[in-house]
Amino acid sequence: MNLFNKKSLSTAIIALGLPIITLVSCSKKLDVNPKGAISQEQINTPEGAESLVTAAYAQLGNDHYDQPFSLWEYGDVRGGDAYKGGSGTSDIQNFHFIETFAGTLVNFGEVDALWYDMYIGVSRVNAALNSIESLTDAQYPLKQQRIAEMRFLRAHWYFQLKILFKYVPYIDENADRSHYDTIGNRTLSNDQLWEKIAEDFSFAASNLPQTKTDVGRPDKAAAFAYLAKTRLYQAYTQDDQNNVTGINTTDLQAVVSATDSVLASSYHLESDFANNFLPGKYENGVESVWAVQYSHDDGTQYGRLNWGDQLSVPQGLGCCDFKKPSQNLANAFKTDANGLPLTDTYNNSDVNPFTDNVDPRMDHTIAFPNKNWKYNSANIFLDSWSRNPAVYGNYASLKENVDPNSGYFFHVGPFFPNAKNRIILRFADILLMRAEALIELGRQAEALPLINQLRVRAAASTGMLVNANGSPEGKYVVKPYIDGVNIAWTQDNARKALRFERRLEMAEEGSHFFDLVRWGIAATEMNNFFAVEKTKWSFLSVGFFTKNKNEYLPIPQNQINFSQGLYKQNFGY
Amino acid sequence: MKRIIYLLIGLFISLSSYAQHSSMSGVVVEKTTNNPIGSVLIKGINHMTLSDSLGHFSIDAENGETITFSQVGFQTYNYKIVNTDATSLTIELEPLPSSLDAVVVTGYTKERKKDLTGAVSIVNVNDLDKQTTANPIKALQGQAAGVYVTGDGSPSGSSASIQIRGVGTLNSTQPLYIIDGVPTEAGMHELNASDIESMQILKDASAASIYGSRAANGVIIITTKKGKAGHLAVSFVGSTSVSQYAYKMKVLNAGGFGQALWQASVNDGVDPNTNSLLYKFNWSVDPNGQHILNKTILPEYLNAAQTEKTTNTDWFNEITHPGIIQNYNLTLSNGNEKGSYLFSMGDYNNQGIVKTTNFKRYSMRLNSDYKLFNDRVTIGENFTLNKTREVGLPDPNIMQIALQALPIVPVHTVDGIGWGGPEAGMNDRQNPVRLEQDNKDNYYNYLRIFGNAYVDVKILKGLTFRSNYGVDYGNYNSRSFQKTYKSGYLSSDLNTLNVSESQTTKQNLSNTLNYVNDFGKHHLDVLLGTEYYHEYDNNFWASRQGFSSQDLDYQYLDAGSGTQQNGGNAKEYALLSYFGKVNYSYDGRYLASFTLRDDGSSRFGRNNQYGIFPAFSLGWRASQEKFFTETFLGNIFSDLKFRFGWGQTGNQEIATNATFNIYQTNYAGGDPTWATSLGTAYDIKGTGSGLLPSGYAQTQTGNPNLRWEASTMSNWGIDFGFLNNHLTGSVDYFIKKTSDILVNPPYIAVDGEGGSQWVNGASMQNKGLELALTYNGKINDDWTYTINGNISEYRNKITELPQSVLYSYGGNGSTQNILGRPIGSFYGYVADGLFRTQKEVDESAAQQGKGLGRIHYKDLDGNGIIDVQDQTWIGNPNPRFTYGFNFSTRYKNFDFSFFIQGVQGNDVNNIQKQMTDFWSVSDPGSNKGVRVLDAWTPENPNATVPALTLTDANNESRFSSYYIEKGTYMKLRNLQLGYTLPKATLQRMKLSSFRVYIGGDNLLLLMKSKSFTGVDPETPAYGYPNPRILTGGVSISL
Repeated sequence: MNLFNKKSLSTAIIALGLPIITLVSCSKKLDVNPKGAISQEQINTPEGAESLVTAAYAQLGNDHYDQPFSLWEYGDVRGGDAYKGGSGTSDIQNFHFIETFAGTLVNFGEVDALWYDMYIGVSRVNAALNSIESLTDAQYPLKQQRIAEMRFLRAHWYFQLKILFKYVPYIDENADRSHYDTIGNRTLSNDQLWEKIAEDFSFAASNLPQTKTDVGRPDKAAAFAYLAKTRLYQAYTQDDQNNVTGINTTDLQAVVSATDSVLASSYHLESDFANNFLPGKYENGVESVWAVQYSHDDGTQYGRLNWGDQLSVPQGLGCCDFKKPSQNLANAFKTDANGLPLTDTYNNSDVNPFTDNVDPRMDHTIAFPNKNWKYNSANIFLDSWSRNPAVYGNYASLKENVDPNSGYFFHVGPFFPNAKNRIILRFADILLMRAEALIELGRQAEALPLINQLRVRAAASTGMLVNANGSPEGKYVVKPYIDGVNIAWTQDNARKALRFERRLEMAEEGSHFFDLVRWGIAATEMNNFFAVEKTKWSFLSVGFFTKNKNEYLPIPQNQINFSQGLYKQNFGY
Repeated sequence: MKRIIYLLIGLFISLSSYAQHSSMSGVVVEKTTNNPIGSVLIKGINHMTLSDSLGHFSIDAENGETITFSQVGFQTYNYKIVNTDATSLTIELEPLPSSLDAVVVTGYTKERKKDLTGAVSIVNVNDLDKQTTANPIKALQGQAAGVYVTGDGSPSGSSASIQIRGVGTLNSTQPLYIIDGVPTEAGMHELNASDIESMQILKDASAASIYGSRAANGVIIITTKKGKAGHLAVSFVGSTSVSQYAYKMKVLNAGGFGQALWQASVNDGVDPNTNSLLYKFNWSVDPNGQHILNKTILPEYLNAAQTEKTTNTDWFNEITHPGIIQNYNLTLSNGNEKGSYLFSMGDYNNQGIVKTTNFKRYSMRLNSDYKLFNDRVTIGENFTLNKTREVGLPDPNIMQIALQALPIVPVHTVDGIGWGGPEAGMNDRQNPVRLEQDNKDNYYNYLRIFGNAYVDVKILKGLTFRSNYGVDYGNYNSRSFQKTYKSGYLSSDLNTLNVSESQTTKQNLSNTLNYVNDFGKHHLDVLLGTEYYHEYDNNFWASRQGFSSQDLDYQYLDAGSGTQQNGGNAKEYALLSYFGKVNYSYDGRYLASFTLRDDGSSRFGRNNQYGIFPAFSLGWRASQEKFFTETFLGNIFSDLKFRFGWGQTGNQEIATNATFNIYQTNYAGGDPTWATSLGTAYDIKGTGSGLLPSGYAQTQTGNPNLRWEASTMSNWGIDFGFLNNHLTGSVDYFIKKTSDILVNPPYIAVDGEGGSQWVNGASMQNKGLELALTYNGKINDDWTYTINGNISEYRNKITELPQSVLYSYGGNGSTQNILGRPIGSFYGYVADGLFRTQKEVDESAAQQGKGLGRIHYKDLDGNGIIDVQDQTWIGNPNPRFTYGFNFSTRYKNFDFSFFIQGVQGNDVNNIQKQMTDFWSVSDPGSNKGVRVLDAWTPENPNATVPALTLTDANNESRFSSYYIEKGTYMKLRNLQLGYTLPKATLQRMKLSSFRVYIGGDNLLLLMKSKSFTGVDPETPAYGYPNPRILTGGVSISL
């Protein structure tokens, strides 16, 4: 055989050449860009910065019923204002253990997820800040304002983390991600953490505009309000075992001066208490200093709805009847003949919501069988609406709920979320914070008119609390405090009145437990609560608050493990 | 009778040919495949000849003479001539199963089995074909040493996952499939298994590393059937099977549920009548303080409207039925010296045992090749068109819901039309029958075009160029309609249509030059090549709400009037490779092979884009040595070969964009119903509705320093044959070290959602031993049998654990970690039985929630408190060993076979115990397994199931050794009895073969560990149940 005929040779050349041609033409084919993603270059532009800012806001609405940013489980249920609810103790069982404090474990998934979701909030803010700070003022005229907004948001997340967990790792935009593993939850002390939060709010207060550019963004007053809140918590100094060791008057002064700015703003009380808890045209009203904006028919599958509070819809309206107002809270609304609360004796008997003298805020806060559901006399809340009354009673929480006919009530799967905004800073809260600071500063006289503003407004808030025939739903008697007439306005009495007023005004808004911890009375109050309440409800029989432990949630064990032991567990766990 | 037929045939032939001939002719073919066999020695009394390359022969012979047909690797066949005029005889030779001359495809070239130096398992495709699964990989379970297959019983078989030689890597254990030279990584159930001619599993790196970066999990080489020269063949195979629910979980009925609820309540000192589940109890306490349940009272109706009647539903019965599997294949093939073709059609239809689920596959194949220019150039193609369609389990997991749904809930309301469902106070589990019925038209269609075209050019003697272009194209479209419904308090008045479509286009082009020559006793085989692979996937989905009719004909986007949504994305990646291979052998005794591959992947950053994967292997065929052949050793060993191989393979299974920081807009976020949505849109302007401004968030942190994950494997092997190769087998020992394993580990919360990052993490090692044995026995000419078995084991451990993944595999993130332990090891508390006396309770360490009948956890650190520090390593999911055993026998026209497969000594996490052993550990308020009725009570003090309680105060949901059980099992996987019509009858019927058979799959659970309390140790996680299948079938060839 002729090994090297021409034909073979040319075939061989082609054959050898082909692979080589293939290789040359392919060498750039390994450069493949990601699809449908924004590149790093696009991030550091004004448009990129704006987008990251929007996403940082969006996280406010990304809560979920078992890691709710409303903190209903942590602020209301743990504070004795509500029972967990649901079909029974085992429905979201870990919340039952958190409620009774008897079995709070370090590895509850709900707690870990809440921590994670809040840090997503922080990380979105830090990403936005990194982008904003890479731009000049000329490139991005909104630079300072956006930085202020972002720092406000970050401080909001840290504030929430702080009141839940006490010691948290503090990460801002200056920390490089590769060094996150060196930042422990004790890198900053209790007070230093408050200081960091306050710094962000201070910056925001100095750099935010007087009036909101968009209704969802914070303005100067919102920053001052949150700064006041931060300083108020900070004022009550705590040791490592969560004992309140004193009260810092500098911080209290800071509360007063920050609230000065809020009082000087255009925010004021709604004429009717109810307006704060109604959807639609009532949202972003004069009392809403800063609120989470929910929306519907917005191009998402179900709407950007309030997923955090959806479980508190009574079973009779849908599902799932969680967050049942406690008997103790209901009783607290009783008033005496003078229209003052029964601060010491309120819990001696259970309120009759029809015949007893009550503060009208009761019927804005708690649904009682055979009364209107959300001011609608055509939709009476019934005993049968409750899912398991033998265990959790037959009340329901009203403030976060809406009238099913309002157009803001939706059905998603077994759940019924609504599109009503969640107010985070309410002007009434600012009045109470200011009053609290003044009282602790010994300036209780200045606090009296602030508290009375709320009581007067409460008295005036009966317009919607009427039956179909126009008669009032209850016997509403509420009057302001008058020093020397119906109360001796001493610091002690003022403090007592303030604390009681705060509970009534802010009930079911996610804060009572944190107030108790701030004041250093959580153990006493909660164990008193259990002592009486467990005689009414068997599920509370194991309820017991362990002082120097249960003031805070445990640092999630998962995070301690991820940090390879850098994070330290809270005292008592 | 037989004689008469022969006589008639002979007469007919003789009449038609008018004269006596003193020669006979015909063709010799391989029995099972009808491949022509060349060079067969054909011996008569006075004459001797060889068959040509197409198997044709002609020999002079006398009537009554016996002709012997013999060929290496085949059973010798004797034919007694009844009439010398039989000019068109077809002689079928049966191959010896372990034929050493069998040619196997290994990495772009072919080798004879006896020359192999790597660890290669050759699968007997006939054994796979006996099973009815749509996925040949599922059928591979237990068939080859070192190959571990798991999977549930879903009709498509798509859940089967395969692991070759232990857990080699972490993201995917899928091996690389090379089908007719085209690489692919998934979806074997989408191709027709009966087109498979041969299957080889390249297990070690020396064999697989020619496939470089994708070979870390091993390579499975599949060659499809080709047309045979000179032989028009038509064959039909059809079977029908019935499948049944084999292992059903026993759950509580309405009465049992009440009893357990009552017991849990009285145990807790809670009034049992405060439940929200409509149960009322009449109970008392006897003088000894013993609680007695006198009567369980249930209302006649579950709701006030009296539409739901209280009942006793067995949800598993309601959602299942006997399934039917039908499988038909028709093959047509022909060929001559210039080319051949094969055309096949397949129709597979599996109606699963869960009602409304089914899987259908239609497939068509055309394989052809043609020789041009004096046979110097061969062009050919293999082309398949496959269409699959599946209705899967509805979401949420219906099997889990059938367990959880309450027995008192009826399937239908009293009118027999409406759906039953939970009423207020009950759990929010859907009616599983509604779920499956509403899902019955929600199928996907998948069209897959798979094939290749090639040209083979013989350039010079021994030098061949081959260019192969392969394509794997998939088009997936699905339509899912969520109907409105009312089912108890669960309802939806909004219907939604979701449609989605995706296209996957994978192309590859390989060019190879191959030089094969013999220089005296030296044999040389050199291969050089390049390969380019490109994959582009894109997808989109759209949904609408608000359809005025729910008729199937309305389920199109245009018919909806509500909210519209859509989305879509794409993925792309490319590989570019250069490779070479040299095989050398001297005198068939000394064998050596070297390969080198340089692979580039677009998935890696510029710094580490290319990886080099070298390998070599050596073999010594001792049985060819003189001191063997010429001594007694030659009488004992018919074959003996020692092998050693070493090589590296890679893995690049990471996100295609892993090196980049990824920022994405996620307008709505995920479905917020059951999990946090993480959306990026926000109503910042407070408009309340309308289009929202949307931002973007970082969802991945890029890692530009990512590099290949590499596996280095050494393999020592011995192949042997005894008794003239009646007994053959091989033993292999391997050490496989995988380093820089690519993972996307869970991350600390402070990283935020952008914490997702691919890294090169841990390293690990697998060591293993594999043994495969085959014995071909023959009792007489009528009765033969084959026994083959395989057993394999591996030991896995993590050998390196960098900081970045310290907490990714359990442990406590610091002192306790997986280093030095097998991957997947279970970490948790040690359950030390139940507290049986108050003394035990009092004397034990402080344990929150402890009490009588509760699980006692061990205080491992001895500090007197049970806390997170009291956890340790409590189980290893890797089996001690796995095995398979095949027996087949043929007696006259009957054949019989069975196949047993088993797994020994693995720990399984029987997480279903949370539902079978506890009232409140998981999903309280839902139905439970019957084991709760044997829970601990003071009257039942020896129980092993903890006392029932309404709340899990002792935190028994914590992961502990209570859930760890042995997953050992042995199953009768397949049994088949067949009957083949005798030759004479066939000839009368003008058929070349006709076989009928009956058999079954998954027939018996022969053995399981006593410690296992679940239903099927093979699927403790409780997927689609593995059914028992009974099959009848027929195969006909013309």
